[in-house]
Amino acid sequence: MTLVKEAPVRPAGKRSAPPAAGRRGRRRENLAGYLFMSPWLAGFLLLTAGPMIASLYYAFTSYNLFTPPKWVGLDNFTTMFQDPRWQKSVEVTLKYVVVATPLKLLLALGVALLLAQKRRGQGLYRAAFYMPSLIGASVSVGFVWRALFSDDAIVDRTQKVFGLDVGGWIGNPDYVLYALVALSIWQFGAPMVIFLAGLKQVPQELYEAAEVDGAGPLRRFWNITLPMISPVLFFNVLLESIHAFQVFGSAYVVSDTRCGPADATLVYTCYLYQKGFKEAQMGFASAMAWTLVIAVALVTAVLFWSQKKWVHYEEAAK
Amino acid sequence: MGTSRNVERRTVLKAAGASAATLGLGLTTGCGGGSGSGDGTVTLRYAWWGGEPRTIAIKKTIALFEKKFPKIKIKPEFTDYEAFWEKFQTQASGGNPPDVFQNAVGFLRKYDKRGVLMDLKSQADAGNLKLENFRNGVLANGQVDGKQLGIPVGANTMALVIDLKAFEKAGVEAKFGWTWDEYFDALQTIQDKVKVAGDTGYFSIMYLYDLYLRQNGKAFFTEDDLGFTEDDLTQWWEDGYKRVRSGLVADPKKVEQVKPKSALSAGLAASEFTWDNFSIRYEGEGESDYGLAPIPTTNGKDTGQYLGSLMLSAFSGTKHPEEVAQFIDFMVHDPEVGRIMGYDRGILATTEQYEAFTPADETNKGVRAYEEKVADAGVLGKITPHPSGADVIEAAFLRLGGEVAQGKTKPADAAKALFSEAKAAFAG
Repeated sequence: MTLVKEAPVRPAGKRSAPPAAGRRGRRRENLAGYLFMSPWLAGFLLLTAGPMIASLYYAFTSYNLFTPPKWVGLDNFTTMFQDPRWQKSVEVTLKYVVVATPLKLLLALGVALLLAQKRRGQGLYRAAFYMPSLIGASVSVGFVWRALFSDDAIVDRTQKVFGLDVGGWIGNPDYVLYALVALSIWQFGAPMVIFLAGLKQVPQELYEAAEVDGAGPLRRFWNITLPMISPVLFFNVLLESIHAFQVFGSAYVVSDTRCGPADATLVYTCYLYQKGFKEAQMGFASAMAWTLVIAVALVTAVLFWSQKKWVHYEEAAK
Repeated sequence: MGTSRNVERRTVLKAAGASAATLGLGLTTGCGGGSGSGDGTVTLRYAWWGGEPRTIAIKKTIALFEKKFPKIKIKPEFTDYEAFWEKFQTQASGGNPPDVFQNAVGFLRKYDKRGVLMDLKSQADAGNLKLENFRNGVLANGQVDGKQLGIPVGANTMALVIDLKAFEKAGVEAKFGWTWDEYFDALQTIQDKVKVAGDTGYFSIMYLYDLYLRQNGKAFFTEDDLGFTEDDLTQWWEDGYKRVRSGLVADPKKVEQVKPKSALSAGLAASEFTWDNFSIRYEGEGESDYGLAPIPTTNGKDTGQYLGSLMLSAFSGTKHPEEVAQFIDFMVHDPEVGRIMGYDRGILATTEQYEAFTPADETNKGVRAYEEKVADAGVLGKITPHPSGADVIEAAFLRLGGEVAQGKTKPADAAKALFSEAKAAFAG
């Protein structure tokens, strides 16, 4: 590709290579490309594509890891849809996605708006707000979270000052999911950085013109900022909802590997993990995994379809 | 680049070879591979679950073994209980479980059915492992269908751990032969006088429900099924939930919140049913003094108790069956090992080890006295090897019992769920 583009800018006088040699050169270059890609390619085929195909097959089998998989057709799927715990896991996951994603993006956008303004120590602030995203997925943070939200820990004590006595969130099936939501919101750094980049792209003239027309800050945000960053917003919504559907680590650690109490934090992947690795029902777990893939694909498709209605691209405006 | 195509092709091949080699390398290291070496030394992998004190003690026993058997090296692997079985399942399905590992009765049939466990009788016949001197018939714990699949390292039995101060303050006494009614009356007295819940949540403990069923002529497991009805369980959980509501049993939310501490040592309740050797942890965790009390009965006599046991099992496909047997033999019979391990995994199973260790502290003395009393009372029954899937059912029992306690599931629905999950677990 680059050769073709570069061809016209070659200094005049030097004859370009005959077409045959060009093709050969291109092939040579492609070969080099594949060569450099080969470690990744091998890894992808062996560690991602292979297992995915295998799991697609297992989804239609009964497989306990020890005896060879037995073809059962759609049995895993029918059992799954009737399984009350599976239904519960879907319910918990949807609740988590619906609550955590918008809150996280709202906070990310809010802080990005603040950090977009020029002020001293800007870099420091940005780094500080981004930091939790780097360590948030770690097991140790899960433990910290557990400690923060336990009975008589700092959150509980603070609540009591305000007269709210729920006795810690971790043991309470009505609250524990919100401890996970809080953990997700706390890691708003990654979407924040993307919002910041988006905000920088908004042309200043628009604001100046609006100001001349007498638009206040709120109106400027609503009529200029939001439409101008809508592609970035779309990207963040997409990415964060996909992430939220796959939440696992925090639920697993905060609930002490049991995804509870009373299955209150039984997110989809947690149940999948229990089925696969604790109960050795790999066929069922694979069926669950593929159902999740399809569900996430559907959600993505809906989001892409909806973007026509609310995402504003500059080219379209021209 | 500017080189000829031939060179290019060679480079490609070389690079491909290199990446294949890297992958190959990864594969071999990943699989562990062979364990023998040129000088006749063999390496055995030994895995167990448990806390830090156990690991420190076991490492000492390994050092002792390696000193006495310089040709055998032991590679330790350890985690906590949950992680242990997840890892083991994956390793075993890949044909690569540890050569020797800690095991329990709930897993014998499961892994026997999958061909993972070695029948140690052959090694005993070959003279590499002694099957004598086991106390109170505990050796039977490792037997399934005439095969010796595990060698017990310790014996334990269910007990009631009580907060001595709370019981004393309330003026109630836990005595042998007391009935369930007397037990619950005692909890009521404790609640009235000491203002603390009596129990931490007895009705989610599968092994306690097993005792209750045994007292009533049933058992939790038969050879391949559950030994009780949905109605039995509904009744058990309905009673339990009533007692949570009345405050006789500790608030399940609080119990959950104080974990990993036990609700008893956290002072949320005055008693807790558990295995007697677990009582050692409460002294370290809690502020009060703790003692062992007898299991309540239905008829004033039979407690339904039996000796449970942790054991050592071996992988059927190990390359070094003889060394494995020697190692297990050493670990269960050597007096020095008994002195090091103490009652961490229950009362020492063989007479050699039992006699070698004299407990110095009150807790261990208490455990010994308790088990001697239970044995003397002549109430000990026989354990049936649990069917394959028992481990999954135990986890479900704990979870569903918790849901009932939290008021999230009705007892009848929970019982129904347990039966349907059990069906799937037995089939797996």
